[in-house]
Amino acid sequence: MRQSLTLRIGPATFRIGSAWPAPIAELARLYAAYPQPIDAIADFTVRLQPTSLVRRFIRPSIFITGDHGLADAAPMSLSHGLLAAEMGMNLQMALGWRRHLLLHASSVEKDGRVLVMTGESGSGKSTLAALLGERGWRFMGDEFALLDLDSGAILPFPRLVSLKNRAIDVVAGEVGEARMGPLLAATAKGDIRHMVPRRDAVARMGKGAMPALLLFPRFGHAADMRAVRQAEIFMRLTQASTNYVALGEPGFAALTRFVQHVPARAIDFPTGEEAIAMVERLWEERT
Amino acid sequence: MTATKLYRRDGADAVTACALDDIVLLYHPRSGQTHMVISPVPEILDQLADGAPASVAQIHDRLTRSFDLGVPDDAMREIAVHLDALVALGLVRPA
Amino acid sequence: MSAALLVRTLRDPASVAGLDASGWNGLIAAARAERLIGTLAFRLADVAVPPAVMPILSDARADAAREARQALWEADRAAQALGALGVRVVLLKGTAYAAAGLKAGQGRFIGDLDILVPVEAMAAVEQALIAAGWEWVKDDPYDDAYYRQWMHELPPMIHATRDRMIDVHHTILPLTARQTPDAAAMIADAVPLGDGLYVLSSEDRVVHAVAHMLADGDLQGGLRNLWDIHHLLADTDPDIVIARAARHGLLPHVQQARRLAAALYSPGARLTLWDRLIRARLLARDGWGRETRKALIFAFFLRSHWLRMPPLMLARHLWTKWRKGHRPS
Repeated sequence: MRQSLTLRIGPATFRIGSAWPAPIAELARLYAAYPQPIDAIADFTVRLQPTSLVRRFIRPSIFITGDHGLADAAPMSLSHGLLAAEMGMNLQMALGWRRHLLLHASSVEKDGRVLVMTGESGSGKSTLAALLGERGWRFMGDEFALLDLDSGAILPFPRLVSLKNRAIDVVAGEVGEARMGPLLAATAKGDIRHMVPRRDAVARMGKGAMPALLLFPRFGHAADMRAVRQAEIFMRLTQASTNYVALGEPGFAALTRFVQHVPARAIDFPTGEEAIAMVERLWEERT
Repeated sequence: MTATKLYRRDGADAVTACALDDIVLLYHPRSGQTHMVISPVPEILDQLADGAPASVAQIHDRLTRSFDLGVPDDAMREIAVHLDALVALGLVRPA
Repeated sequence: MSAALLVRTLRDPASVAGLDASGWNGLIAAARAERLIGTLAFRLADVAVPPAVMPILSDARADAAREARQALWEADRAAQALGALGVRVVLLKGTAYAAAGLKAGQGRFIGDLDILVPVEAMAAVEQALIAAGWEWVKDDPYDDAYYRQWMHELPPMIHATRDRMIDVHHTILPLTARQTPDAAAMIADAVPLGDGLYVLSSEDRVVHAVAHMLADGDLQGGLRNLWDIHHLLADTDPDIVIARAARHGLLPHVQQARRLAAALYSPGARLTLWDRLIRARLLARDGWGRETRKALIFAFFLRSHWLRMPPLMLARHLWTKWRKGHRPS
């Protein structure tokens, strides 16, 4: 393909090819602190290609595909090229990664222990991880937490943090413009801006740690906290995993061990500040 | 005649069990499926562990040695329903 | 062209010794696009590969093992559902190769469960599958009528809780195709596996794989189909293959597949002009796993429909499809 970049995030190496220069240039800039080997064998190929030859030039629209793709993936505008590249990498991980149990969760680490947060899009897990990452925690990832099948450790996958709508200003105010990507207005999920994780989070992206607390956050509700039964945790985590079924019995063993050993709470919160206070308190009280 | 219907478990259909609170997870490698069950399903499966065919009445009798099942007719009806559900999942086979 | 590199590697695994990173990237992308990554992983099991390639190949082997296990489970479920009917249920394609432990099945991608049953048992099979939890995938009346009237199978069904598809065939080519294989003879000669399940005889397996690839398809997945044929041929008596192919009206196709398999996966063979065109179509994939030669591919898409249907019917079918926004991809 005309433009390409090879990029390492956590344990995975991506080869991203694009018919247009802009998405690759933006990736190269925002992922400047990540390894970008010139000549590496990639785990996955991502392709940003025109939906047709005409669409390369006129109202360019990107079809996201690669080693793993969805035939019915909706094309995206070239102005959202960075998002397309991110989605392309996510798609490869979600459909193709087999070396860990993939949990659709954010994760942060403190004192050598990991806090895992899982929930639907809009639950606040990304924003919470981003904010904690600025306040004494190590940011490990906002989209996928990788559960090691043998050791039970959580491994980082610290790609750019994808911030949506109201969360954009909250986080941009905290980290400063230099670490923010371009505003991608009016995507299918609303306005999106990407945030570059701190340098130390990127430098330590090869280092995992044992999980110590699991939270099911829910943004936009009155502050509340409740215990979650193990069977429900198991159900919700299988639904939050794209490769649980593909991993077979090792996945079952790793996930049941996680559920049995990691304490869990569901938390509701009206604002990010209150959420952080709740998280810090739960972290101190964890058993 | 349902009374003569026999059930058995195939060695190839062995499951890995894991209890979470009062729920039991059964991982069935042959199908790659994870089943979530509650009592008395794990107990019924245990009665068929030896692989030999057994009728509803036989399974009921074995269970009564360890559990109080109440009115036999009701208990047997319930056991039969569970067994047929297990057959549909492929964990138990008609013998 | 990375498809050519993939073919070379399958033929001669040791030839990867000289590959650089971009060669490996192209090889892996092509193998994934052709759904031959599992097969490639098995072929390279005893060959020294760079450290970055090892986990990619071992993941592919694990995926293939899981797919085989799940395919066999679906076959077991079908046997359970259809056992009471007392008809022969013949497993086809990937599931058959896995069930019979054939070399063609090693690492092979397996999609839906394909079974062949006697045409007179179709209604009973349909009822038994529905009773056991399978249901129709499409509720488009045009497609449903099209399948039933012209194709060689029931409309695809999916199991309501396991989410796996089954294709029930009563012959191996559409009724509109010009060749008319003798499905009853194939079922009669099928080999029992136990539990009411059968696989085709080794010679009929070749005839079926060839029908699937050359007489039926638009050559999507053709490199994999040809790899199957290459291995299936090794288990056969050449004279019997010729006799069976002639009986099913597919002798020219079987001969062509033999030449192509020899040209791509063995030291070589003399190819006709038409063979070369097919070879070009099969190898149309670049270092990013993209299909190249779009015009050629579209020509084959049209040809596959023309082979199955008389031209007027084809026009009507394509028109109905395109009006709904369907395009050959």
